Amino acid sequence: MLGGLNTRVMMEYLPEIWQGFLATLFLSTASFVGAMALGVLACALTIQPLRWLRAPAVVYVDVIRATPLLAQLYFLYFGLPRLGVVLPEMLIGIIVLSLNSGAYMAEIIRSGILSIPRGQVEAGMSTGLGYMQRMRLIVLPQALRTTVSPLIGQAIVLVKDSSLLSLISVVELTRAGQRIAIDRFMPVEGLVATALGYLVLYYLLKSAAGAWQARNSIPGRG
Amino acid sequence: MTNLNTLASAAIIASLAAVATPAVAGTLDDILARGELRVAVQTQGPPFSFMDKSGQRSGSAIELTTLMAEEMGVKVVYLDFDWDGLLPALMSGKADMLAADMTPTLARATKVAFTKPFMYVGAVAFVKQGGDIASVEDCKKPGTTVAVLLGSTGEKLAPVVFPEAEIKSYKGGGTLLLDAVASGQANCGLNDSSAVKAQAAAYPEGTFTIFEEMLSKEPLAYAVRYDSMDLLAWSNLFIDTVSLDGRLDTNLDYWVNSDSWKADH
Repeated sequence: MLGGLNTRVMMEYLPEIWQGFLATLFLSTASFVGAMALGVLACALTIQPLRWLRAPAVVYVDVIRATPLLAQLYFLYFGLPRLGVVLPEMLIGIIVLSLNSGAYMAEIIRSGILSIPRGQVEAGMSTGLGYMQRMRLIVLPQALRTTVSPLIGQAIVLVKDSSLLSLISVVELTRAGQRIAIDRFMPVEGLVATALGYLVLYYLLKSAAGAWQARNSIPGRG
Repeated sequence: MTNLNTLASAAIIASLAAVATPAVAGTLDDILARGELRVAVQTQGPPFSFMDKSGQRSGSAIELTTLMAEEMGVKVVYLDFDWDGLLPALMSGKADMLAADMTPTLARATKVAFTKPFMYVGAVAFVKQGGDIASVEDCKKPGTTVAVLLGSTGEKLAPVVFPEAEIKSYKGGGTLLLDAVASGQANCGLNDSSAVKAQAAAYPEGTFTIFEEMLSKEPLAYAVRYDSMDLLAWSNLFIDTVSLDGRLDTNLDYWVNSDSWKADH
């Protein structure tokens, strides 16, 4: 079926696809960093005991997880200007993706922390370690190991979610593929070129996850 | 092995036979046989095709294609697409015909066969009322952002008319362009005058200034596939017929050349 692909046209659009690939890579990396920061913060706020600090974090995670990413994107893109804030679409894209992924990452990190048996924390307390010490020496090193795989899974989702930014005129991988479809009326060529780009990004992330796991596997825990 | 070869040869012969058989059944015959004309239209593209206030599908292209189906003696079935999904829908055979306010460009015509134009339009620029931009000339200034529709003729026209401006292409219906300009994400918008006028009507009075100056003159036509020459010939005759008997003018005067439809839809 793919034998009929017009590879000549695909090669002709290689510069656009490459630009789109770089843009998607940049958007995803920036959003991943933002999402990690938000995720760690939201998670820290949800697991600490003060109720008034916990509430905003819980609301943030719930609201984001309950609404579609596209709605969040349009809400900020067309909504913010009503409040007098006009930001470039690239920045709006990074903000939306960070906010969105951050909520999921908060949950991933939280589940990692909660997976550490209570007994270990109690053992830390009985040896006189403070809260921060227990976190730094006992909980986080172990929690991090179990969360890396799901976090990279979330990063893979984030990379694909960034395709939605093509809707607010950001030129990234999906939009670059749409160009082939629209300029040359070759939707299949455009979609295949786009898919190949995402596939490359996916394998980069997958091999990163594999390498990390190989280096940090715990004997006896797999 | 021999068995496989025999099977393969049989399959090849059968497929050759299928190809070699004279193509008696054209698209028009298919339509008549299945009793329905499948038309790809834009989900939200007033005044040509849109859902009106009461949720009824309406518009100039809807009425004309309904009339076509009536004249053929078949039912009409509509398939909804975003602007950039229209051509793929026709090319992939999902629809027999594409009925939208589409300009028959030479590039598009390498893929689909256009009917005779049913009318001519021009592209206009529009801005948010009360902003800094007072004329089309202002849109041409460096640093200005111009919103266009992905895959539209406006997108091709924009770099020519506004060579110094930054072009932003939006995917989806034309109202997205108006939203982009209304919210300040783009300074100017560029699209067909009929589409801009019809869509701006849905916004509060005084939201937009539409500059009268026509920046291009473009025909509008429906399209079929190149394997549907029978349907193309029939459609051209249909357009000739309705323009002679006045039904085309009645349609266009109501839907496109005036705001009459807004009272009813």
